[in-house]
Parts: sequence; structure tokens; C-alpha cells
Amino acid sequence: MFKFISTLLVSAHMMGAAYAQEMPVELSLTVDGIAPSEGSLMIAVFDSADAWNGGAPVAGIRASVDGEQVTATLGTLPAGRYGIKMYHDVNANGEMDTNLMGIPSEPFAFSNNARGRFGPASWDDAAFELTAQSANQSIRFD
Amino acid sequence: MLSTNRREALQFLIAAGGMAGLPAIAGAAGEDPVFAAYQRNAEQDPWTLIVRDAPADGFSGDAQLIHGQMPSGLSGTLYRNGPGRFSRQGWRYRHWFDGDGFIQSWQLANGRVSHRGQFTQTDKWVEEEAAGRFLRPGFGSLPPGASGLNGPDDMNVANTSVMLVGDELLALWEGGSAWSLDPETLESRGPRRWGQGLDGVPFSAHPKVEPQTGIVWNFGQDAFNDRLVIWKIGPDGQLLDAGLIPDIPGGMVHDFVITERSLVFLVGSYRYQGRADTFNGSFGFEAGTPMLAVALDKNDWSQRRTWELDPGFLFHFGGAWESADGEIRLDAALSDDARMVSQGAQMIMRGEPEGEFGSHTQHRLVTLGAGGRARSEVLGPDYIEFPQVDPRFVGRRRRQTWHIAWSEADERGATRIERRDLETGTQDGFDHGEHVFVEEPLFLPSERGAEGEGWVIHTALNARDRRTELHVFDALRLSDGPLASWQLPYACPFGFHGCWRQA
Repeated sequence: MFKFISTLLVSAHMMGAAYAQEMPVELSLTVDGIAPSEGSLMIAVFDSADAWNGGAPVAGIRASVDGEQVTATLGTLPAGRYGIKMYHDVNANGEMDTNLMGIPSEPFAFSNNARGRFGPASWDDAAFELTAQSANQSIRFD
Repeated sequence: MLSTNRREALQFLIAAGGMAGLPAIAGAAGEDPVFAAYQRNAEQDPWTLIVRDAPADGFSGDAQLIHGQMPSGLSGTLYRNGPGRFSRQGWRYRHWFDGDGFIQSWQLANGRVSHRGQFTQTDKWVEEEAAGRFLRPGFGSLPPGASGLNGPDDMNVANTSVMLVGDELLALWEGGSAWSLDPETLESRGPRRWGQGLDGVPFSAHPKVEPQTGIVWNFGQDAFNDRLVIWKIGPDGQLLDAGLIPDIPGGMVHDFVITERSLVFLVGSYRYQGRADTFNGSFGFEAGTPMLAVALDKNDWSQRRTWELDPGFLFHFGGAWESADGEIRLDAALSDDARMVSQGAQMIMRGEPEGEFGSHTQHRLVTLGAGGRARSEVLGPDYIEFPQVDPRFVGRRRRQTWHIAWSEADERGATRIERRDLETGTQDGFDHGEHVFVEEPLFLPSERGAEGEGWVIHTALNARDRRTELHVFDALRLSDGPLASWQLPYACPFGFHGCWRQA
């Protein structure tokens, strides 16, 4: 009997782990420090270092800016490791404006509020573990 | 030429590799060894005043005449810029070039000299002053807990040079924007905006002004991507043109020269090696890599000529001119190595004389032949820096170069101001003696037009008196000694470069 119960518990625990791994999570993002209050946020979600460094995002949305703070739902994704890149398309031309050297002239930010030094933030700095507990991410422009 | 390049924007966002796993910097806990070394050396050696922190609220005072009298006709303001803040919360920068930009003005009027010094209110300065600690990476330092960057202006210290364009004073750095200042109050107005797509684009510290037209030429460098930017600005400060020049190797380029037809660059052998924890740490001296000379056609920047010279490095040029057949001659302070930037400037931060790691720059005349051959001739055995020319002869054939000078035994730097005649080889100079360490001399033309007619003005640290001085010479009679000298009641940190506004 004891063995049966413990097997059940272990199984349940294992099932729980599997469940947690495979159960998709709705990822939402709260962005603060948005200025000016116009245009839209262009947000992309990546699921690997390779994708981060030039591959395709697994999700991407445009969120209208109507104030200093915007909350957006980025999609329902399997639990796992993700990184977010975002820029504020202030003039709503659908592109990230840059200066002559290719450095963005519109605000941009990454998940974990990570920042690069002479380029964009790295995957290692920006990546986060998406679980039901971390489904609400936040980023602040500064 | 002003269109932005989306592919490069994408590259910026894509090129993330190599930034992970930056080494942790010691010093967050316990005593910072560089700060401690400077404190220790500063107690014994007043020469260390050249890199002492200036007060956050600056300086203001009158200089006292200690010799001679104000030359008749000399009236105006000498502006100088240099690093003035090196430590916060017991942690000290590793590299001289990291320090926050400190602007000084010396106003010469009615026989009196008044002085002011003020930190340029860069974004970095304002935020770090409020926080009480360094927040951003420097040129050659990574303070504990330093943040990342959204662009080069986040670490802009505006600490290298200063220029007047129209009625605007610009504090110049070389990694990002020029910083606009009020020439009367030295009050900061923010980064200089030239037009769409040009915010934050590197604007170097040695613009050149065509004497005939007043047109200002400058460049900026993107060493990580083997590119230069060229700037062409009207005398009124309006942008005339700007564009990218690809395929210029990533050697650290600080200065350039113009002729009547060309923009001339020497790309030294201190080359970009790959991203490291600091900007300067990303460069290394390649003893087997020739120095590259590049001349761009002023009227068509896609047209270039190139030459190879022996491996070496430089910060500063005197001037250049070009003959009808396209032969270019230029003079510069050239060294066979880059140890001043890679090592000497770190020793200065510890308050230690650079000695063998200092700048071993000699005055050299370089000929870039019309047939593609180049040669370089050493003009004298001593070391020289901050070569200066008569601004009426920028880009034109000329003879005179003024500079500071020192020899191997002078391990704390230069005490001499000298002039060399490039045609005759003759020299004229003045040695202030072992206690007076000289800064960049500026040539100020008199109203007469002959080359060299005018004054030479320079600042200096009198280490014995622990005070900063100002000296004025007849530019063609340096060995007569100063026409006039003034002394402040305090010592200021050394500056790098200056400019003059005639009253």
C-alpha cells in the first residue's frame, strides 16, 4: 500500500513536471518608460541563441502606444527559454530608424532590461525561463 | 549620402556575439589598487596634479601676471578641454582618456587674465554626479557594475578638444556627438544635432578649417566595422555633407590632415582585434602590419589613393600640402609603437611617470609620392607632441611647426616649447625648466599675413608652486622667453587640446 501510494506520488510528480514542460504559457509583457506617447512598440520573441543572433522570431506583435505604459500579450508559447527584442516605432513608419552608422535612433530595449556594450544585448543576458510563474515579463525604456 | 542603411541597423541588432561572459572587475569590494596608488604617489609627487580630480563645481579665478606684459593686440579667449574627473567613491579610472570633459577658458582682456573651469554636462556626467559613482564604461576602464550602452553617447565624456563654429563652442570627443556649449558661460546645451540620421555619429576631435573658404572638414571612425564618416560643414555651422567611407582598416585614427585637394589619413598599426571588455582593450599593436596612408578626393569621396609605410602609430599631425602632380607632404608626431595608449596612459592614472612606456613620438616628414611610393624622414632625435601650424596655412605649403618637446631623461613629460622650420631644419625653443610641464601650444596669427607672424600661447603646470600657468611667446622668437606669463592661485588637471577666439 505504501509502495502504491509512493509510486502514485512519484508518478504524479513526474506527470506534473511533464505537464509543466509541455503546458503552453501565455506570455505577457508590460513596458514602462515609453516616450513620446505616439507610434507603436514592435516586439519580437526568440527561442534560441541562434534565432536571437539573426534568425526568425517565434512571435512578434505591434502594440499601439497610448501612454507611458503598455501591456501586451505576446502569444501562448511552450515553457522554455526566450528573449525579447523591442523598439519604439515613434514615427510609425514600420522600421527601426537608425543613424548613418546603423545605430538605432528610436528607443530600443531587451528582456531582463539587458543592455549590450558596443552592440545589442546578448542572448545570455536577455534570455529568461518562461514558466507559469514568469509569464508576466516587464521591460523599462531608459 | 545621408540615407540610413537598414541592413546596418539589422547588423547592429544581430551582432550580439562576443559580449557574454565579460570578466568581473576587481575593486567592487575592498580598496581599489589604482586609487590607492594615485593617492600614495600624489602625496610625494606634485607632477601628479596633471590628473587630479577637478572640483565638481569647477574653478573660477584671476591669474596673476608673474612676468612681462600683455602683448599689444592680443585679446581674446583661450578655450581648452581635457579630462577632469577620474575617481568616484574610491574607485579610479584605469586610463587617462576616460576622464570626464572639463572645459577651461582663459579670457585675456584689458591686460588681465581671468580663468574658469567647468565640467561639460554630458548625460554621463549628470547621471553619475547624481548617483555619486561611475555608471558607464569608459574608453579604457570598466567601473564596477558599469551598465551597458544604448549608443556611444551614453559614454560620451566630451573630453578631447574644443572648437568654435559660428557662435557655438563645441566640446569634442571622438566616439560620438560633439557637445554644444555657450562660449560665454560654458553652459552645456546638449549633443550637437546636425540633421536627420546623424545623431550620435562619431565626430572626431581634430576638425580642419580651410583658410580660403572657412569650410570645416572632419571625420569620425567606426573601427569595429572598418569605416569612416566624413563631415563637411559650412563656416556658419550648417551641415554641407556627410557620408560613410567603407574599407578603412580599424586602426585607431585620432587626427587627419587636409590639402587643397585631399583628405589624408594615416591608419596606424594599433588595430582592432575583436570586442573586449573595454573599447581600448579591443585594440592591439600589430608590429608586422604596415601603416596605411589614404588620401580621399575632397570632391569625390569614392576616389582614393593609398600608400604603405612602416608599422607605427600616431595621434597628431602638423599639416599637409599637395603639389600639382599629386605628391602629398605631411608632418606628424609618429612613433614606432602604441605603448603610450596601451600602457603609458594607465601609468599616469596611478600617478606613476610613464618612463619607457611613454610616448616616443618623433617629428617626421612623410612624402606620399604621386607614383604610389611613400617615405618617412625623422626630423630630430627628441620626442615631440601636439604639432601646430599657422591656421592661415592649413592645407597649403608651409614651413613652420610648433610643438612640445622632451627627451628620454624627461620621464614626467615635456618642459620645452619648440619650433622647427621644415625647409631649413632650424629650431628655436624655450625650456621652462624641470618644474614646469607644458601643454599644447597654440599659434595665434597676428594681423600681418606672413607665416609664423603671431604668438604662441600655452598653459603649463608649475609643479613646484602647484599652480597652473599661462605663457605667451613671440612665435618666431621662442628662445627669447615668454613675453608674458601668468599664474593661477590653483592647479588644474592637464587638458589635451584648445582653440582661440580673437576678441
